[in-house]
Amino acid sequence: MDFSKILLVLKREYITRAKSKSFILSTILTPLVLFAFGAFMIWIVTSDTETEKSVGIYDQTGVLAESLIAKDTTRYSNVSLMPFDTVKAMVLREELDAYLFLEEKHIETNENAELIYSGSGGIAFTASVRNDIRDVIQEERLLRAEVSDEVRSLFANRPGLDSRKLTAEGDTEDDKAGFMSGVGFVLGLLIFIGLFGYGAVLMRSVIEEKTNRIVEVITSSLKPIELLIGKVAGVCLLGFTQFTVWAVMYIGISMAAVPVAGVLMQDQIAQATEGQDIEQLASEAGFDPASLEVLSIDPMIFVYFFLFFVLGFFMYASIFAAVGSAVDSEQDTQQFMPILMVPLMGGYILNTRIMVDPDSTLAIIASLFPLTSPINMITRIATTDVPIWQIGASFALLIASFFGVMWVSAKIYRVGILMYGKKASFSDFAKWIRQS
Amino acid sequence: MTIIHVENIRKSFGKNKAVDDVSFDVEKGRIFGLLGPNGAGKTTTIRMINHILGPDEGSITINGQEASPITQRMIGYMPEERGLYKKMKVEEQLLYLTQLKGMKPKAAKEAIHYWLDRFEASDWTKKEVGELSKGMSQKIQFIATIAHDPDIYIFDEPFSGLDPINSDMLKDIIIELKNNGKTILFSTHRMEQVEQMCDDICLFNKGKAVLQGKLREVKASFGKNTINLEFDGDGSFLDKLEGVRLNNRSTNFAEIRVLNGQNMQDILKLAMEHAEIHKFERIEPSLNEIFISTVGEDNLKAQQLEEAQ
Repeated sequence: MDFSKILLVLKREYITRAKSKSFILSTILTPLVLFAFGAFMIWIVTSDTETEKSVGIYDQTGVLAESLIAKDTTRYSNVSLMPFDTVKAMVLREELDAYLFLEEKHIETNENAELIYSGSGGIAFTASVRNDIRDVIQEERLLRAEVSDEVRSLFANRPGLDSRKLTAEGDTEDDKAGFMSGVGFVLGLLIFIGLFGYGAVLMRSVIEEKTNRIVEVITSSLKPIELLIGKVAGVCLLGFTQFTVWAVMYIGISMAAVPVAGVLMQDQIAQATEGQDIEQLASEAGFDPASLEVLSIDPMIFVYFFLFFVLGFFMYASIFAAVGSAVDSEQDTQQFMPILMVPLMGGYILNTRIMVDPDSTLAIIASLFPLTSPINMITRIATTDVPIWQIGASFALLIASFFGVMWVSAKIYRVGILMYGKKASFSDFAKWIRQS
Repeated sequence: MTIIHVENIRKSFGKNKAVDDVSFDVEKGRIFGLLGPNGAGKTTTIRMINHILGPDEGSITINGQEASPITQRMIGYMPEERGLYKKMKVEEQLLYLTQLKGMKPKAAKEAIHYWLDRFEASDWTKKEVGELSKGMSQKIQFIATIAHDPDIYIFDEPFSGLDPINSDMLKDIIIELKNNGKTILFSTHRMEQVEQMCDDICLFNKGKAVLQGKLREVKASFGKNTINLEFDGDGSFLDKLEGVRLNNRSTNFAEIRVLNGQNMQDILKLAMEHAEIHKFERIEPSLNEIFISTVGEDNLKAQQLEEAQ
């Protein structure tokens, strides 16, 4: 093994690709597109999409209409004095969007009131009317039951649940399970995308050398395994460059975005609550204003991310390279793609389960099995406390299978790159492995 | 002095014996031609000399050393399937390829510029190879092969696909390299090039080396068994001849290979009866004739048919 040659291959692979327009564009545009998408999602969620709707209340109780109107003067109007048929007609003519027919039985029994609308209702609209009617009826029931103010305030304050995690030192710390399982999933997703995306880049590069016929010139100067390792390392480094640029951009954008988002959200919260106890409301919704400090991530996770990405990439990339070496064009890779797609997609799909249940048997097996461990172990490490022996075993299995896979792939590769004009099959693979 | 020593090498791909017990020696400072129909095992042999493939059996030594990454540096190799990175600039590409052959960046740069100047290609250094014409990129390919100044040059079918200008240029380079004491090995199935250039030949057929030696001696060993006949008149009498093979026949010329040792004077007599004879000459057979009689006419026809398809 001649490392100076491997280094030459690595340098060429890295520099020509890093200088290419497609790489520069994808590096800059991907986060911008993601950011724009994220901003769009936030805009959708926060913007007031609910159109003003009017609801006429035909009230026979004499109390509910008043308290509903007090809740929202623009939405509710009292139509109790009109003839009932007129109200119906108004709804049909769409002068009113809906009407509510309220009777004593709705207060005294558990019978539900009915919201009658024409045209479109909409889930958000019915839900908010349901909330309002629930509140006023409960209020009225409490009033009629003549309960004391203390009891009433008991009802007003709904109990919530905070979760905290017991640490080894015996202290409790703020629980970040929700956030960390999100982080774990994203890290697993990044490894999945990285293995697949950069693996495909490498495969195209191998096919390019083969169809350009340059590979025979190259192999008269170095061993195929040196070429293979140099190329894999070059593309791996390319992946890191892109991840690093994205990480820097993410930090930069979020540093700029947090104050802006904060202002927007405060506005939102203030509007929504109108004088209610913000803190209580927020904790009910599972949102703690102090959660920003929770957003810090243990740096060790990034070290594991790095290691699992590199080992996983070297293993998968060598398979991608073997597939690339066996074909003359990208279209011909289709028949071989299942050997890559099945384990990679499997790992990704398992990840959605592992993120919510990181200590299950399934999760442990998936994070040890070398074909899925690069994706699944990083999710577990982020989400839960993985026993150190499992991390060690996962690494050991991954390294062992990396050497095994590389050994087999290199054999296919060194024969495949010199085979022109013949469509290879799996049985050819077997022949080539025996041959070399 | 022997510079490439090939001894009893064998190489099989599955059941196909691509090279079957081949031995030959290439002498330093000479031009060695590897001849044979397609699929005879020439490229496989060349790949083994270049240490791209390893032989199943036998040994290859270059300058006394077993074929290895070290001997790879002593060889400049231009494969039959030529190619370069299309997206790379000419200079970067040549720097990369020469450094892979073990050159230091500075020396590589000097050598590259020397050759680019000689081929009047200095303006192309910053161009991508994909932008170049076919003839231009062929020149770049030569430079990639010879810039690291090796002792041995191996060209696999060097003249196939070359335009006439580059073909002549390559011929000149090969002669120049030989005059500088370098060793050249090339494979071809075009005999006239071998006649013009080669000192030694080795003829391959079906994985075996069926004939080898110095070109002069090989030809002499076949004796003066061929007639060069120039005539004026009706040439149909040639069809009446028995026990001969007609090569290079045209309206007033024929190269007649005389088989089964019949008397050449009888042929002359027959010819004189039918046409006016301008020239009757006994010569050594052409290499093409040697090739046909060694490989066998039927075998060759099948090969040519395959090529045409």
